[in-house]
Amino acid sequence: MKPSQSLISYLLLIAALAVLPFLLRNPFLTHIGVMIGLYTTLALSMNLMLRIGQISFAHGAFFGLGAYGSALFMMRLGLPFPVAFVGAALGVTLLAWLVGQVFLRIRGVYFVLLTFAFGEIIVLVFIEWVSLFGGSNGLSGVPRPSWFGHEIQSRDGFYLMALALAALAFASVRALYRSELGAVITSLDENEALTCSLGINPRQYRLLTFCFSSFLAGLSGALYGHYMTVVTPEDYGFWVPVNLVVINVIGGIANPIGAVLGALLIVPLPEFLRDAKQYQILLYGILLIVFLLFMPDGLYATIDRVRRRRKGRAA
Amino acid sequence: MLERPELFELAIKIVINGLTSSLVYILMALGFTLIFGIMRIVNFAHGELYMIAAFLVYVLAGSLGWNYYLVVILAAVTVGLFGAALERVLFRPFIGRELNGMIMALAVSITLQAAAFILFGPEDHSVERPVSGVIQMGTVMVPRDRLAVGLIALFILGLFYLFMRYTKAGLAMRAVVQDEEIASIHGVRPRIIYPLAFGLGGVLAGFAGALMAPIYTIYPYMGAQPMLKAFIVVILGGLGSIPGAVLGGVVLGLAESVFATLINSTVATMVSFAIVVVILLIKPTGLLGR
Repeated sequence: MKPSQSLISYLLLIAALAVLPFLLRNPFLTHIGVMIGLYTTLALSMNLMLRIGQISFAHGAFFGLGAYGSALFMMRLGLPFPVAFVGAALGVTLLAWLVGQVFLRIRGVYFVLLTFAFGEIIVLVFIEWVSLFGGSNGLSGVPRPSWFGHEIQSRDGFYLMALALAALAFASVRALYRSELGAVITSLDENEALTCSLGINPRQYRLLTFCFSSFLAGLSGALYGHYMTVVTPEDYGFWVPVNLVVINVIGGIANPIGAVLGALLIVPLPEFLRDAKQYQILLYGILLIVFLLFMPDGLYATIDRVRRRRKGRAA
Repeated sequence: MLERPELFELAIKIVINGLTSSLVYILMALGFTLIFGIMRIVNFAHGELYMIAAFLVYVLAGSLGWNYYLVVILAAVTVGLFGAALERVLFRPFIGRELNGMIMALAVSITLQAAAFILFGPEDHSVERPVSGVIQMGTVMVPRDRLAVGLIALFILGLFYLFMRYTKAGLAMRAVVQDEEIASIHGVRPRIIYPLAFGLGGVLAGFAGALMAPIYTIYPYMGAQPMLKAFIVVILGGLGSIPGAVLGGVVLGLAESVFATLINSTVATMVSFAIVVVILLIKPTGLLGR
C-alpha cells in the first residue's frame, strides 16, 4: 500500500469508529469504547518505554497525576478545561523530565524497582496529603470538560474525545517509530554501544522517550478523571503498569498496533465479567502465562505471520 | 517530654517489635534474593508462596485440627515442592531474561491470588494461636506468640546458614550466584540448582507464611505486604546478596518500628520507599551487592 492510501484507510477507520456509538445506541458498549480509547493511549505510552527496554512502573502515578492535576486545575484555579487538560499533562511531563535525569541512568530490573518505589510514594502522597488530594476518598465532583463554552456530558462525547486521543497517540507513536529519531530510539535497547559510537548521546533520547511517554499517560489520566468524576488514589497504583505490560505482551511489543489489539482484547474483560471479577483476574493470569510461553511475540506477530504465509502462497 | 525510664521502655519496645518483624522479613527476603541471584528472576509471586502456606495452616490446623507445629513443617515442605515445580514448568524458559521472567512472575502471582480468592472467598480467616499471653521482662511486656515466632525463625535461619555454609548443594548455589559459567566448569549442574533454589526459597517463604498465619488474618491478598517488604529488604541489601538480605531485614524492621511508633505506619512505608529510591540511585546493587 502507498502511504497516501494507508492514511486514507486509517482516517476511514477512525471515521467508522466515530459513528459507531450513534448507530449502536448502547451506553454500556460506549463506556467500554471510552475505556479502550484511554487504555490504548496508556498502552502506547508503555510501548514507548518497552521500546527503550525500560519498563516504567511509575506510569500508574503519571496517569493519576494527570487525573488529579486536571481536576484540581479546574476545581481550585478555575482554569478552562482545555488549559487544565493539557496543563496537567505538561506538568506530568515536567516531573518525568526532572526525575528522568537521574532515574534513566538505572537499567533493567533496577529501573523497574526504582520506578515502582517512586510510584508507590506518589500514591502514598495522594493518601497522606488530605487537604490537597482528599486522602483515601479522593476528589469527587470533578467538573465535566467543556470546549469553547460547550459542556460535554454525554458518554458519546467522551467516546469521541477518547477516540481522538487514542488515534492521535497511535499516529504520533507510529510516525515516531518510522522516523530517523525512532530508529535511534530502537537502537538504544538493541545495541547501545554501537549507537554511542555514531556520536549519539543515548541519555537525551531516553529522556525524550520517557517525557513523551509520560505526556501521553498524563493526557489519558486527565480525561479519565473528568470521565469518572471521582479521582481516588487506589485507581493509580501498581495495577495500572501491570495492566499496561499485560496489554503490550498479549498484543505484541514490536508494533504499536500490538498495543491497540491488546487493549481491544483485555479492556472489555473486566467490564463484561463485572459480577465475576475473580474469574476475570484468573483468566487474565492464565492468558498471560499462555502468551508468555507459547506466543511470546504477541497477537500481532502471529496475525502478521499468518498473513504473510497466505500472501506467499497466493504469489 | 518523656522521662528517662519511659524513654528507655519505649526504646526497648521499638527494638523488640523491630527485630521480630525483621526475622520474618529476612525469611522472605532470603528466598527472594536467592532466586534472583541464581536465575535473575524477580519473583513477584513470592508473596503468594507465603499466602499458600498460611492457607495450608488454616485448612489443616484450623479446620482439620492437626498439630500446629507439624502443619508448619508440612506447609513449608509443600510450598517448597510447589516452588520447585513452578520453576520447572513456568520459569525455566525465562532464566536469565530479567524482564520477561518478571512478567511471568507477575502472571503467576495474579493467577494464584485469583485462585485463592475463588477457593476461599474474600473474607478474613484466622486460626487459633498456639501460644498466647505475655512475658514480663522488667517493665516491658513481650507477647509470647511473637517471641515464639522470633525464636523459631531464628532457628530456621540458623539451619539455612549451616546448609549454605557446609553442604555441597549450598556451596554449589553460592558458586552459581557468584559466577554461573565458572561454577558449571567445576561440575555444578544448573538443571539441579535452579529447582533447588526455587524450592529452598519456597520453603523459607512457606515457613514465614505458616508462622505468621496465627498472628495475622489470612486472606487471598495477604502475600502482597510481605512481598513488598522482601522487595525493599533485598534492594537495601543488594539483589542476590545473602548477607545483604539479613542486614537489609534488620535495617528495615528497626527503621519501620521507629517511624511507626513515633509517627504513623503510612509515613513509615513512605520512608522505606524513599530509602529504596535513594539507594537505587546511589548504588543500584544495594548496600552489600557486588
